[in-house]
Amino acid sequence: MRKLLLGFTLALSLTCLYAQTPAAAPPAAAPPPVAAPAATPLTDADLKNIPTPKAEDRAKGDPDGGLTGNVSDIAVADPITDKTPKAKGLTLGDMANQVGQNKIAINFVWTLITGFMVMFMQAGFAIVETGLCRAKNANHTMMMNFMVYGTGLLAYWICGFALQMGGVGALGNLGGTPPLVNEFAITLFGKPFGLWGQTGFFLMHKGTYDVGVMVIFLFQMVFMDTALTIVTGSAAERWKFTAFLLSSFILGAFTYPIFANWAWGGGWLANLGANFGLGHGYSDFAGSGVVHAVGGLSALALGLIVGPRIGKFNRDGKPNAIPGHDITYVLLGCFILAFGWFGFNPGSTLGASGNGGLRIGSVAVNTMLAGMTGSFGAMFYMWMRYGKPDASMTGNGLLAGLVAITAPSGFVNPVASGIIGVIAGVLVCLSVEFVERTMKVDDPVGAISVHGVNGIWGVIAVGLFADGKSNYGGSWNGVNGSVTGLFYGDAGQLVAQLVGVSTLLGFVFVMTMVLNLILDMVVKQRSPAKDELEGLDIPEIGSLAYPEFQLK
Amino acid sequence: MVLVGILVTFLGFVISLLSLGMASGVSSRMVMVLVGILVSLVGIVGVINKAYVNNAIWKK
Repeated sequence: MRKLLLGFTLALSLTCLYAQTPAAAPPAAAPPPVAAPAATPLTDADLKNIPTPKAEDRAKGDPDGGLTGNVSDIAVADPITDKTPKAKGLTLGDMANQVGQNKIAINFVWTLITGFMVMFMQAGFAIVETGLCRAKNANHTMMMNFMVYGTGLLAYWICGFALQMGGVGALGNLGGTPPLVNEFAITLFGKPFGLWGQTGFFLMHKGTYDVGVMVIFLFQMVFMDTALTIVTGSAAERWKFTAFLLSSFILGAFTYPIFANWAWGGGWLANLGANFGLGHGYSDFAGSGVVHAVGGLSALALGLIVGPRIGKFNRDGKPNAIPGHDITYVLLGCFILAFGWFGFNPGSTLGASGNGGLRIGSVAVNTMLAGMTGSFGAMFYMWMRYGKPDASMTGNGLLAGLVAITAPSGFVNPVASGIIGVIAGVLVCLSVEFVERTMKVDDPVGAISVHGVNGIWGVIAVGLFADGKSNYGGSWNGVNGSVTGLFYGDAGQLVAQLVGVSTLLGFVFVMTMVLNLILDMVVKQRSPAKDELEGLDIPEIGSLAYPEFQLK
Repeated sequence: MVLVGILVTFLGFVISLLSLGMASGVSSRMVMVLVGILVSLVGIVGVINKAYVNNAIWKK
């Protein structure tokens, strides 16, 4: 059986490698020149004679949709009415304004709906984590995943959003967002280093009560909440609920927004290309680093601080398996997360119209491919190593592939996506073993490996596999051209990505570690041993998740 | 030891940051950044984690 699986994996790898090899295609012949017809300038007068459906026809209904939506639906600045017969009526200016508003409306709707999908990922995380925990902690784990939404939202509304996006500048896809222009920056090595934004506190500060700002707030907020909910997995089954609330608030208010500002809010990491000639600066399309590595490294910090669950390790350090109570929850949750990822990655274009928005299809396909190869990578690894295709690790392989493709999804081709995913699937298995057996850190759901390790892998993958074919309005992070990785000729991009990785390890991890150690001194983060042995449902929440079942 | 580990981990970030000002070529910057990442990993895995394992609940 193992030889058969090995052979299958080898064949898959060779297929991927062959497909990755660029074909030596002859240059396409230039099309023969065609004489353009003489253009007749359009005037306002031409707009007066556009036919509209008759009122009596409209009154009969429109079952085939042929009458609904026509020139009479265009907003007119100076309409002709009985009282204003000499008004201009429909003009070319009205038409142009309507086209512009349609573009922004498409982008608003796209960004909002994908944001709603990302919000639904909270449900996926909740049941994945609850399923991987024991039944005696199910209510506590579910409650943490439920309230992390509200806690994160409160923190982000008060100050997190302002610190992250207050100085992002113009977001053209969302109509410009002109109020978000105040970035606090210092000068280092003769260049400006943006550190945090200063506009948007409570969404009322300095003109941020604005339609475009509301859209970007919602979208960025659900991303931030994803990072927060990752931490609840690694500290599950022994984290005091009060400590969880305070720790999550701090992460949503300060730690996450600071790094997100550096990467997405116009901060210094995004400008490594413009200021230091490192490719297009740190490029993280949808957040392998910003969301997942921040969440995963915070999960590592909390895992260290709260320590392992009682019974996880023997006195000689040998780990014991503590199986979750519902694998159906786990795999259903993985499916919900995979669905939500179609909002996470394609939504990060912040629009479907203009500035490369049509790459949403490519981003979505890259996402699904990496998830698929990630699940295969983990399943075959476990099958070959332990003799069975472990269900929870196969689910984690899917998530690892999705995490890893999150940063590169907008910059790479489908074959690269498959390779990134399969590496992630194997990497998550190796990492889980390393975290448990070598580091002796207890991570009940594998959050450190799925999100931390594979988030970092995704960031690096941009610097390797970005193919230089993406075009989001002609430039990225203020540098003309497309993001291009080492394999396609730009080693500087890889350096920019590695600076981002170093910042995640050396700054984000340190910041979350220090803040949580201070919190640990104020309110002890770990629950008492008696409560842990009993299960946290009753001591912490006051009721069992499954009151009619006999719990061990 | 945890505090020492935190300082070592942060030192790795400082090394990477300094690469932006002290080095100008892509190769030299890459070497400095990789050294920075290595130092941070030593701080996390070799110092902080070791300190927690030495005082782990399961050893008592």
